[in-house]
Amino acid sequence: MKPAKFEYHAPGSVDEAIALLGRYEGDAKVLAGGQSLVPLLNFRLSRPAALIDLNRIPSLAYIRADDGVVRFGAMTRQRTIEFSDVVRQRLPLLSEATRLVGHLPIRTRGTIGGSIAHADPSAEYPAILAALDGEVVVKGPKGERTVKARELFQTYLTTSLESDEVLTEVRLPAIDAGAGTAFEEFSRRHGDFAIIGIAAVIAGDGASCSMARLATAGAGPIPVRLRAAEEILERDGLGDAPIAAAAARAAELVDPDSDIHASSAYRKHLTGVLTERAVRRAMAKRGR
Amino acid sequence: MAFLRSPHAHARIGRVDLASARAMPGVVTCVTAADLRDTVRPLRAASRMTGYHATDLLPLAADKVRYQGEPVVAVVAESRYVAEDAVDAIAVEWSPLPPVPDARAAMAAESPLVHEEFGTNVILTRAFRHGDVDPALAGAALVVRERFRFRRHAALPIENRAALAAWNADGLTLWSSTQVPGMVRDALAESLAVPGHRIRVVAPDVGGGFGLKSSVYAEEIAVAALARRVGRPVKWIGDRREDLLASTQAWDEEIDATLALDGHGTIRGLRASVLADVGAYSIVPWTASIEVIQVISFLPGPYRVPAYLGEGAGVATNKAPMGPYRGVGRPVATFVMESLLDRAARRLGLDPREIRRRNFITEFPWRSPSGIVWDSGSFAETLDEAARLADWDGVRAAQSLRGDATRRLGVGVASYVELTGIGSAIPASPGADIATGTEGATVRVDPTGTVTASFGLACHGQGHETTLAQVVADTLGARLDDVRVVHGDTSAGPIGTGTYASRSAVLGGGAAILASRSVREKALAIAAHQLEADARDIELQESAAWVRGAPDRRVSLREIARSAYLGARRLPKGLEPGLEATRYYDPFFGTASSATHIAVVEVDLALGAVTVLRHVVVEDCGRVINPRIVEGQTIGGVAQGIGGALLEELVYDDQAQLATGSLMDYLPPTAWEIPPIVVRHLDRPSPSTIGGFKGVGEGGTIGAPAAIANAVSDALGSLGVEIAELPVTPDRIFRLLASRAPRTG
Repeated sequence: MKPAKFEYHAPGSVDEAIALLGRYEGDAKVLAGGQSLVPLLNFRLSRPAALIDLNRIPSLAYIRADDGVVRFGAMTRQRTIEFSDVVRQRLPLLSEATRLVGHLPIRTRGTIGGSIAHADPSAEYPAILAALDGEVVVKGPKGERTVKARELFQTYLTTSLESDEVLTEVRLPAIDAGAGTAFEEFSRRHGDFAIIGIAAVIAGDGASCSMARLATAGAGPIPVRLRAAEEILERDGLGDAPIAAAAARAAELVDPDSDIHASSAYRKHLTGVLTERAVRRAMAKRGR
Repeated sequence: MAFLRSPHAHARIGRVDLASARAMPGVVTCVTAADLRDTVRPLRAASRMTGYHATDLLPLAADKVRYQGEPVVAVVAESRYVAEDAVDAIAVEWSPLPPVPDARAAMAAESPLVHEEFGTNVILTRAFRHGDVDPALAGAALVVRERFRFRRHAALPIENRAALAAWNADGLTLWSSTQVPGMVRDALAESLAVPGHRIRVVAPDVGGGFGLKSSVYAEEIAVAALARRVGRPVKWIGDRREDLLASTQAWDEEIDATLALDGHGTIRGLRASVLADVGAYSIVPWTASIEVIQVISFLPGPYRVPAYLGEGAGVATNKAPMGPYRGVGRPVATFVMESLLDRAARRLGLDPREIRRRNFITEFPWRSPSGIVWDSGSFAETLDEAARLADWDGVRAAQSLRGDATRRLGVGVASYVELTGIGSAIPASPGADIATGTEGATVRVDPTGTVTASFGLACHGQGHETTLAQVVADTLGARLDDVRVVHGDTSAGPIGTGTYASRSAVLGGGAAILASRSVREKALAIAAHQLEADARDIELQESAAWVRGAPDRRVSLREIARSAYLGARRLPKGLEPGLEATRYYDPFFGTASSATHIAVVEVDLALGAVTVLRHVVVEDCGRVINPRIVEGQTIGGVAQGIGGALLEELVYDDQAQLATGSLMDYLPPTAWEIPPIVVRHLDRPSPSTIGGFKGVGEGGTIGAPAAIANAVSDALGSLGVEIAELPVTPDRIFRLLASRAPRTG
């Protein structure tokens, strides 16, 4: 388990990183926290000609909140997000989910930009980007553009980023103070990738639901926004029957693959179970 | 060194093009089986079992590969990076053959053969018969039947296997991460045709073994052969991928079992047929029978079973070889027997504890249906104490409070008896040519008064440095700090095989007591001579000797030792100089450790998830040398048992490709998944071993899976679901619940 030979570059700026990516014409990989990429290198499942290391670009690590949006520099560590007061106040869903990302050493190295650019559909951050309809900023030789969650994730470990583009920022709309949020996840062991994870945001008073946001981790090749289930809650409210109906709808909306840890049928079942649990827990946290 | 390992489960090896690999800078040599044919002889695990087929152990596969990960080309280079680059540059012309993916498929008439020359994939069978089982089953008030399945498991020591070979004019030194340096030395002597006294095998601090490191491996032979060939030291450090692909694996058995009882729950008979997937080769020196025979040998457990038929078959498949793993056979046997008893208790409306009490063996010595002699056992005592500590009745009360909630509680019990400290009466397999029943100790007091105790054992985390030093210090009368334990080096101690099978405290401890007694006797004679007293009146403790009743008349162990080496003018007339002794010990039958485990679990029906809330072990491992060591052994064993019950499974697909080739997919429990574990010792010295020790290295892994399976069945009992397959993963619980009579939960 030693990587094949590669060149290593540690540029001091994003522009320099983009230039290096261009020079390798698609045969270079961007190194952020390295928690997924380095094992792939060691198994020789990924054999890039070069690694472009973003860890020497200090301007890529920040958390800023303004105009109802929280912006994260791509190299912001998960551990920083876990303990950020801004995140706890504006994005409690992200705080909760971050505690489910791997283990302490993984979160200490792992970054928000790396997790999203890696696009593992079982990971927590892509699900949150989908649930909150967030966007990412990517920079390439032709300049900067923003990409919405639904345009970003294409399939397993694949995004719409060009090979000479760098994801520089993640933007998540702040959650209304009165809304409740929950991230329900089931994994085989603490810290493992989700078998199924459900991100939920619920707003509204009492049994009424002014807004529901639901998205999955682990339920297919990309995070799935469960819009039809959200609509049931927004239309019929938060009684037992509509919640059960929304959960059943959620299970119908996903088409997960089977793997050695969970069959497709079990994942569909879990999608329903965890949707109901996430909605109920998010409801209970409203107005706090 | 790195290996090109087969990507195929079953394939013929065609032309191997080494040219570009050999041309790479930093590559020292690349060899195939053909290059080693004249200098390395195949090893075979001998046995007189009927229908047994031995297979060749060679450093590299010749002609064809029989499991994914089998070594085919060895590359020696100046770094592992270069060696792996060179492996990448090797081109092999493979002719893939249809694989034999599991034992059932292997039994089919049209199945391809793993070893064509045998004409069958069944490479061993064995049976134990006692009494007449058919009438017992036919006339019974209650018969419970089940097909059990215990999936394939990895031992997963923290340190992967590794070996370093260096030759000089004296011969070969091999450092290996092994449990059995003595066996490796003997095997290398045969394989490399080198005299045994020219081979030194050292097992330095070894990071765990759990049985996985108790066999002789191709890689050990390869480094030794390659180091001889290139005239330089050669090192191989296995990585986790190699460990999961090409170390011996465990369990993977299907057991059809039938238990017959009378209306009071008294056992009348037991019949079991075990089909074991033993992988591609019969390992050296244990043979492919090591696991399956112990299942049928130990199935009757701590119970009176008047009629028994246990049949086992070992079937070759295109998977990594089956080998010994902590508990060998007993975790599977205990899972089956304890599950059958709980099923019987449910049918009869008996408390699971009561059905056990009605069947426990209470008279000793007891000859089991498979011919093992139980010298002792604390079965009812461990059961009652474990039930008390686990708050069994409290769990029952909490269960009725919860009713049919989504999260169900369950409590499960498993009692077992385990043969430990096995002596020469019980060979590893019939006719096996390995000395598993004896072990030696050399105890030497040097002229500075310090004590060196050397063993053929090979500690790999058990703390022999502490426990054996305690035994020597106590027996000899030396200060504990003055005793150093040396082990794991074939040139440093008496002849021995190594550490496995819960044998080191019994055999090593017994030999240590014998040797320490000899040394003590001589020290007392010298002290008596110097103090002008009778040896019977001398006290020797804490490295000092004095005349009983006259503590001022004393001499230190250091002075005694100096005298011993100074010779005649300081010694009693006729006493031979020196102060050391080597003694060997053979416990003949061995002894019996026993325990009861109780697990309390919560099952989330909607998720199919099992959480172990607490786990209690009450065990009788004989005289306890060091309670902390026993507790550590037990907790570690329980953790592995929890892994086996809930999480860990080596999954091969239908092409016999390993789908769990990394720790992303093979899931040992972490600290989060391990509940509080309560361990209590009953100090009941063995009546049949020197020192009264019984072994304790494996017990935790034996009881835990069965107790957890029974607890899950208890939690799901009202839903009509009983666990027959381990590990009981969430997906399996989901399917069990989905397939029962429709009633939503």
